[in-house]
Amino acid sequence: MASNVEIPRAAEIGVRVRREGRFRAGQRLSTFGLVGPTVIALAIFFLAPLWYIFEFSTGQKWVAPNDAAALISGELTSISGALWSDFFGDGVIIELMPNLGDQGAAHVTVPAALIGLLFVVLILAAVMGRRLVPRYGGRVVGFSFVALLVPFMTLPAGDHILRLVQLSSESTDLRLFFKSVSMATTSSVIAVLIAFPVAYYLAFCVTKSKYTWLLIVITPFLTSYLLRIFAWKVVLGDQGLINSGLASLGVISADAPLTFLIYNQFTVMIVLTYAWVPFICLPIFIALENMDRRLLEAATDLGASRLRAFAKVTLPLAAPGVVAAFLFVFIPSIGEYITPSLVGGTKGYMFGQAIADHFIGGAFDWQGGSVLALFLLTVVLFLTAATSKFLRAGGGTA
Amino acid sequence: MDNGPFMNRRGFFTASGGISIAALLAACGGDSGSDTPAPASTPEPAASAAATTAPPAVATPKFDPASETGEIKIFEWAGYEVPEMWDSYLKGPYNATSPLKFTFLENDQQALAKVASGVQYDLIHPCVAYWPDYKAAGLIQAFDPSLLPDYEGIPAPVRAGGVDADGLIYHVPFDVGFSTLVYRADKVDPAELSWNVLQDAKHKGRMSLFSDDVSIIKIGHLINAGVPVNPNVMTSEEIAASMETMKKVAPNLRNFWGSQTDTVNDFVNGNIDITYAWPDGYWKIKNHEKMAGVPIEYMWPREGRLAWVCGLVLGSQAAAPGRATAAVAASNTPAVGAWLTDVYQYGSAQQNGVTDLIKDKALLTAFSLDDPTAFAPPRAWFEEPLPNRAEYVKAGQEVKASAGA
Repeated sequence: MASNVEIPRAAEIGVRVRREGRFRAGQRLSTFGLVGPTVIALAIFFLAPLWYIFEFSTGQKWVAPNDAAALISGELTSISGALWSDFFGDGVIIELMPNLGDQGAAHVTVPAALIGLLFVVLILAAVMGRRLVPRYGGRVVGFSFVALLVPFMTLPAGDHILRLVQLSSESTDLRLFFKSVSMATTSSVIAVLIAFPVAYYLAFCVTKSKYTWLLIVITPFLTSYLLRIFAWKVVLGDQGLINSGLASLGVISADAPLTFLIYNQFTVMIVLTYAWVPFICLPIFIALENMDRRLLEAATDLGASRLRAFAKVTLPLAAPGVVAAFLFVFIPSIGEYITPSLVGGTKGYMFGQAIADHFIGGAFDWQGGSVLALFLLTVVLFLTAATSKFLRAGGGTA
Repeated sequence: MDNGPFMNRRGFFTASGGISIAALLAACGGDSGSDTPAPASTPEPAASAAATTAPPAVATPKFDPASETGEIKIFEWAGYEVPEMWDSYLKGPYNATSPLKFTFLENDQQALAKVASGVQYDLIHPCVAYWPDYKAAGLIQAFDPSLLPDYEGIPAPVRAGGVDADGLIYHVPFDVGFSTLVYRADKVDPAELSWNVLQDAKHKGRMSLFSDDVSIIKIGHLINAGVPVNPNVMTSEEIAASMETMKKVAPNLRNFWGSQTDTVNDFVNGNIDITYAWPDGYWKIKNHEKMAGVPIEYMWPREGRLAWVCGLVLGSQAAAPGRATAAVAASNTPAVGAWLTDVYQYGSAQQNGVTDLIKDKALLTAFSLDDPTAFAPPRAWFEEPLPNRAEYVKAGQEVKASAGA
């Protein structure tokens, strides 16, 4: 038998190796052809500006190339550790029921680093709880989520915003940051809560033309964002649609409109929620649509109620979509600039506006603005990295 | 494994990482030597351009527009690009070969940052407080006064703000105007005709101010003084005191507006009763159909109004500085000054016979354009270059951030 086996000659082997080598080189070239432009664009338009911002924030490496650039470089002669120190302040004040009075029901001041560490631990526990504590992992995850969300969740309360727990600081910028986190968290959670049923209905209940319906859901995106914000001003103004409607129904007096509808944090959250709900239907819908329906049948066959099947099967499998949806709202919202500028009023001023004011204000404090921008970026990057496990299919079940 | 047709993940990331770093280094290449200060003997383009094109310290520049070519790039406020403002230049001999090309600025800060970042313009329209920044950065050059025949028609006190210590003209004033409160006279007590009305809790949530940080601090100073006092020469202590006052004022405000159109809309739609506005804003509110029958007034606070002067500066690298100056001269005529008031309700820096040319005489009374005392202290505080502007700005930002935090 062995004598029948053809042994390739050395020359043929050489040809094959060269051919394969060329093939692989060609494939590598096509890989870079496909992805390379994006990578290069990212490097030039994202990483390079980021590097400049980092240099601005440190204040150590930047030397203005000319007098004109020095004008906008701010005071870059000193090491900016002091700026970071100013930003974090002396400590974080935790207030319980802050709406009860100046300092709320109770308050305590703790070092900012400790609060930062606590958040890192809570986020990691929320992500890795099941792996770290096998038996009580579910409770650890649940507790961590609640502990992360509760301090930042808000409820509208007349002209004010009601918080059960509020993080505050002597540092104005850090206080603004906590407020922005709070507004972004509330908007994100509410947007997800609104978008989930819509996506669920489209995925499970609509049988015909579901993609047409999906297109209809995202129709608001066909109009300009600015236009939609101005539409809200028309709706929420003191003589706007809601107030005029209520006045004509006799519910309120025309002379005493509901003033809390516009120019406060509540308005910003309404607009942010509205703006993102159609968009985040998409990731949730895709997660639900790709779910293996036989798992639900199996759960039912094994005696699970519809609610239990939803909690134990549907929700964990939809987790990647839900987390993606949350991040899609949270990340742009926390650094929002245009929405609070237009409908936020004095109370709705957010962290993104503070960053912009540093850069474009008459002081040209690019160093201070860079410190704030870098801090925001760090928080967002950490959050995204920590929750990236959920973004993978089935990640929520781990 | 590396058997697939495509390279594996590690290989791809290694290669793409290399490309990213290379691109990053290329993008930051100009800055690679920034660890050490740039040697003084190798000035960068803007500085060297200023050194070569700007005249000696006290020599008056001389331009020859007839021998120049090239278009005139103008960084201008929207609304000032209309032919009426440049009429005599457009009808003159240079327009054919040196047409005017406009780009629009949003505010002084943005304009300065953009020009400082390297974008070249031949003419820019900053307000008087900002031209020294342009000059310090080597971004502008002095005008040739022989090409500005109507310059003397600008009152000397207004002209003075645009002239440097050597007597060279860097800023040719064009538009002047008040910045004060527009209010509903049926809601505000005549005894409250003061900036202090902003502290009155009776108007809480019904007032609005411009988001400009410097203006916020100036207003706080006038409130603290309670009498006319120059808000352009504040000490650090006065700025801090003003900031504290404005932190108390801020909760009474409904918003800080960024665009005057927004606050005009808020006013006529009943969201506010008192707002900071420029003359055209006041005029739009007063004459808006929704305000028919509502008494709208432009406040003359007992501490004095704030006021501004804006004008044109000449880019240090202007290809045709003489022709650019000719364009400035065209905008500096009495006819354009009258047009400015008739159309935009702004005062004209050019005063020579302007009041006679203004068609709508009601504007003369409404804005006291025929009253010389109206545009001088203690009734109005024109803006001036502020050596300590950064202090004003940081305090103003603190006010806005505190109100929202």
